[in-house]
Amino acid sequence: MTDIRPAGHEVGAYFRFERWELPPPAGSEGPSAFAGRAPIDDHQRGPGGGLATGGLLTCIDSMGGLLCGLAVLPRWIVTASLSVQVLRARQVGPLGFHGRVLRQGRNSVVSSIEVVDEGDGGARVAESVVTCAVLDPGEMALGFSRPLVIPMPPPAAAPEGVESFFGIEPGEGPVTRLRLDDRLRNPWGILHGGAVATLVDVAARRAAAPDVVGEPATTGVMVHYLAPLRVGPVEARCTPVGTRADGTVVRVALHDTGAGDRLAALASVTVRAV
Amino acid sequence: MAAWDYPPEVHLLADLGVEIEADEASTVARIPVTAELLGPDDGVHAGVIATLVDIVGGVIAVRALHPDWMATADMSLQVVRPARGPVLEARGTVVRQGRTTLVLEVFVTDVPGDGTPVAWSTLTFAVLPRAADAPAPEDLPGLPRRSSFGPGRLDGHVLEAAGITATGEPGGMTMPVADYVRNTIGALQGGVVALFAEVAGAHAVAAALGTGRPAVAVELQVSYIALGRVGPMVTRVRSVTTDPATGSGRGVVELRDAGADDRLTTVVAVGAVSA
Repeated sequence: MTDIRPAGHEVGAYFRFERWELPPPAGSEGPSAFAGRAPIDDHQRGPGGGLATGGLLTCIDSMGGLLCGLAVLPRWIVTASLSVQVLRARQVGPLGFHGRVLRQGRNSVVSSIEVVDEGDGGARVAESVVTCAVLDPGEMALGFSRPLVIPMPPPAAAPEGVESFFGIEPGEGPVTRLRLDDRLRNPWGILHGGAVATLVDVAARRAAAPDVVGEPATTGVMVHYLAPLRVGPVEARCTPVGTRADGTVVRVALHDTGAGDRLAALASVTVRAV
Repeated sequence: MAAWDYPPEVHLLADLGVEIEADEASTVARIPVTAELLGPDDGVHAGVIATLVDIVGGVIAVRALHPDWMATADMSLQVVRPARGPVLEARGTVVRQGRTTLVLEVFVTDVPGDGTPVAWSTLTFAVLPRAADAPAPEDLPGLPRRSSFGPGRLDGHVLEAAGITATGEPGGMTMPVADYVRNTIGALQGGVVALFAEVAGAHAVAAALGTGRPAVAVELQVSYIALGRVGPMVTRVRSVTTDPATGSGRGVVELRDAGADDRLTTVVAVGAVSA
């Protein structure tokens, strides 16, 4: 039995995201819940002073994948869509995560994850829904020590900013690119869902910047994962759809330029100033 | 009820006056904009736009997935300016068709107009495979180039027609699951679900802003968890945050089926702005 880390372990380790399974009470059936905690290291803070939204999305995606995946063992899952509302840009940290399965079907599993600021009296930071499609793991052996515990890694010896870690090229304007480094791949060999969401966040904020007075921050995002990203570079092409009182709406399409320019993700992002 | 017999004569979708136009290249749904569809900003309710989106998406999905069936799994709707018509047009395309899901994109415009979208939506349909022992599927009839869901005879406001009433709590709403608003499998129609949540979320944001002005929903992220079959449906709104500087706010609406052990059916994130 192979005890794999079910998400790109370098990505999870970068955010020092600890997670622990909460099995259902003895005698009751149903999928496990999960709890987690992420410190906010200074080099990972984003607009508004909280954890960079990409980090928030990455932790949510990782926990959603664990929740849904453990619920359907011995099969496994891929993230189909991720919906996140960012309620507070200012955060003290550490952030606390709590997730549960909302629905477990034959072909899909839906989970919800709430995020609070443990350093600010438990103020709500984000609400999210993660929908996963169930798949056959094929040759990959999936085995976990249960209840599953993933401890918090130590602080990085050489801190690296979020955009640099994710291989996101510096720039501005409607197109943002990401190098698909091996450390960003999940155990299936494809780009980690959190990296996809981080690219979506960064690209949308850059595209909306001309329409936003102040530092742009993401308040709402819906990502549809359409196809695996295997080759790269990945290009995020943004189209502002419109601006209203609560911010600018950006359409983000992610293409795998090394794989026939295949459309791999489509996202809707709302960006406002903080 | 077969998809091509839907909706029945007495149904909200018939009363909205939906017209469908489809060919090999695209599928379009239109409704006339009437006073009965407008919210406090004199734009069409986001939930009505969501209903139009769900219809055009459903027509595309039925044809793409036949003989399998489908259910709406999630929907994101962004309203970027008030939709005032005189006709509202939703044009949908397939973004990706996979083994388990179908993802669509829908742009909504005023007609006549300059073609700039008033709303944009993405939605996912979950594929429900036809059981191996199910009767042989009927052939999907050819869709006429133009078809109509009904004459468009709504004689009261759409919220009243749907039976949506406020309970008195911020964001508290209730509605029956009547035949008038059911879908082809007897549950609350997906667009009507969005309409119900929209009203609750906007109500909660307006109460939290505390200006005395109503709010209108401009963003919906709908996650369909289970079907609402019994009713009455009830709403609970949590995690409401506001930004007084822009007169906007957000909240998360839970829809529950009170007649089915208070079962959670839908989670909807709502963004709203003061009218």
